[in-house]
Amino acid sequence: MTQTQNDTHWITEGLTVESALEHVYAKNGFHQEFVISKDSLRELAQRFRSREYFLECLSVVDYPDHFECCYQFNRWDKIHRVLVKVRNPDKTHPHFPTLSDIYEGANWYEREGYDFFGVIFDNHPHLTRLLLPETAKIHPMRKDFKGDSGTDVEDVLALIEYEDHQYEKVSQELKNKYQKDYFINMGPQHPSTHGVLRLLLHLDGERVLETYPVIGYSHRDHERMAEYKNYLQFTPNMGRMDYVGAMSFNFGYIGLIEKALGMAPSPRAEYIRVFSTELNRIASHLLWLGTYLLDLGAMTPFFYCFDDRENILDMLEMLTGERLTYNFFRFGGVAYDVPEGLGDQLKAFIPKMRGRLKDYKILIEKNIIFMKRTKEIGVLTKDQALSYGVTGPMLRACGIAYDIRKAEPYSIYPEMNFEIPTFPGCDTFARYQVRLAEIEQSLRIAEQAFAKMPEGPIKGEKAPKVSPKVPAGEFYFAVESARGHYGEYLVANGSANPYRLKQRTPSYANLSSLSSMLSGHLVADVVAVLGSTDVVMPEIDR
Amino acid sequence: MEIREIQKVTPDDIQVSEGVALFKLDQLLDKARSNSLWPLTFGLTCCAIEMMAVGSPRYDIDRFGFGVFRATPRQADVMIVSGTISRKMAPRIKTLYDQMPSPKWVIAMGGCAIAGGPFKYPGQYAILEGIDKIIPVDVYIPGCPPRPEALVSALLKLQEKITAKKD
Repeated sequence: MTQTQNDTHWITEGLTVESALEHVYAKNGFHQEFVISKDSLRELAQRFRSREYFLECLSVVDYPDHFECCYQFNRWDKIHRVLVKVRNPDKTHPHFPTLSDIYEGANWYEREGYDFFGVIFDNHPHLTRLLLPETAKIHPMRKDFKGDSGTDVEDVLALIEYEDHQYEKVSQELKNKYQKDYFINMGPQHPSTHGVLRLLLHLDGERVLETYPVIGYSHRDHERMAEYKNYLQFTPNMGRMDYVGAMSFNFGYIGLIEKALGMAPSPRAEYIRVFSTELNRIASHLLWLGTYLLDLGAMTPFFYCFDDRENILDMLEMLTGERLTYNFFRFGGVAYDVPEGLGDQLKAFIPKMRGRLKDYKILIEKNIIFMKRTKEIGVLTKDQALSYGVTGPMLRACGIAYDIRKAEPYSIYPEMNFEIPTFPGCDTFARYQVRLAEIEQSLRIAEQAFAKMPEGPIKGEKAPKVSPKVPAGEFYFAVESARGHYGEYLVANGSANPYRLKQRTPSYANLSSLSSMLSGHLVADVVAVLGSTDVVMPEIDR
Repeated sequence: MEIREIQKVTPDDIQVSEGVALFKLDQLLDKARSNSLWPLTFGLTCCAIEMMAVGSPRYDIDRFGFGVFRATPRQADVMIVSGTISRKMAPRIKTLYDQMPSPKWVIAMGGCAIAGGPFKYPGQYAILEGIDKIIPVDVYIPGCPPRPEALVSALLKLQEKITAKKD
């Protein structure tokens, strides 16, 4: 028995374990793997919960002879990624136990499993469609689903009819059920929902009792596209999933495939990747800052932030040729070398941005309206964050220094000198503070990476010239995107396309915690709290 | 009182003499409309960020009178369909379009709004392949996403369309 098994004996003690595996973390991103019986799952999850593991991801995979639920548990303080698999050979209506009462974050993951695969989670409180419309009759991620391209207009018309009919029915039902409190729809077309999010607010007067986010209005089937396309053809999708911080998503996907292929990019490419990602992170935070203050009623910050953001976009455009939806990373390197003149622009930009940061701080934090609207609003406790699997600036605003760049270092981040800013406030103001502090840290990293960048080729020696074939196996790779932990779980079978590519996107978990942050607040605070989560809808809806 | 037919009075589009401009009534209205096109604040996906950038200082859409983004369709003249139309969202877009008062115009921004863009592949189940399948479109802007300049150009094109001679 090895040392790790000793330490983690508690995980499966007394449970029915079908098989256990020790993984090499550097090879596929997992430490341990267990295949357990359905009945032991809840007990196991409770053990993880009591030891402060968070539910990182839940992916359902459709194998030829069974359905498999893959639960990933991990820790904030010391990384220990455990993959727990439960199998069910029933191919028509597979049942699994729910974890939604142990981990609240599991609620959405399970609904997604039902939506995509028709997997039924017993005792789930609200097992309905999550991303597809209620009228959908398909379970698109099942391998026997062949697609229905020709029916798009029909589907839309059916949905229009259904919703007209449903509106009368539901409003009458609610009217009969509730005398004093009422429901209001916010979105999907609303200036402060940052895209197409719909919030169903249950109100008592001006107070929010319960919030039900309705998502899926920008669902574009990225995950099924991954199975349809080959590894190289899928890269442009990354820029479109989180278009505000596209570089991080490039990093995540390319990093995953490189890990699976067991190859490393050229040293110069590593530095180009890091400084471009950090610049993109600043652009993302600036966009957030501008629009967040716009939501709170301040118009001018939008102009300032977008002005600074345009400077960054200029530099990234010089580098990549694109303004927004970057498709810049390649397997084993990057697409283009650093052009002449970029260094000068960067050198001019960094001190300018530092000066601007000081201005922002004074202008924003001396504003009494902003302070009153953000302090002690939308509090998310540490325990709630754990339960929902919240990551990124939202988690760091709870005082927890969990950042993949430090916790699970990838690329050249270990060589970089930077800090993980944390603030203990747990409220929307703390989230603002974290993001502003991160801009400064990202400037530091970009500066160092650019200065240390070695000469050499931009592509590694082993970089594939055509779309590679990934050897069979399971791989996980995570990066820190502007919104938090972005991970990808790949099941490869040795062919030219992925067998399954599950995207663990940060805003998904972050948004699911909205309901617990909003209870008891005024309607006007909904915008302040929602804005502070910094969601990007297509990344959630995928 | 004698009512003269306006059509006969104006042989040209505009007659200017000593500070007096003479329009056909509908031309005058078109002129007015085209210079204060109020877009609907309504972003779908990636292109919406470029739509926001158009309102930022560098592109400054206010120069053309297009800067008054309205959050309610009842006050909007032009809908910029900025992004992928999922099948779940399409009915809402139709509703928004129906709620806009006439005359109204639609700009399809980006590949997705035109025909599904990169998300169109044999067997897709999630998107509507082009907004023109459910509402009429006046100007199409190619690109993924189109640059802000392209959106400005599209709005100018729409201006041309509105003020063009009608038979």
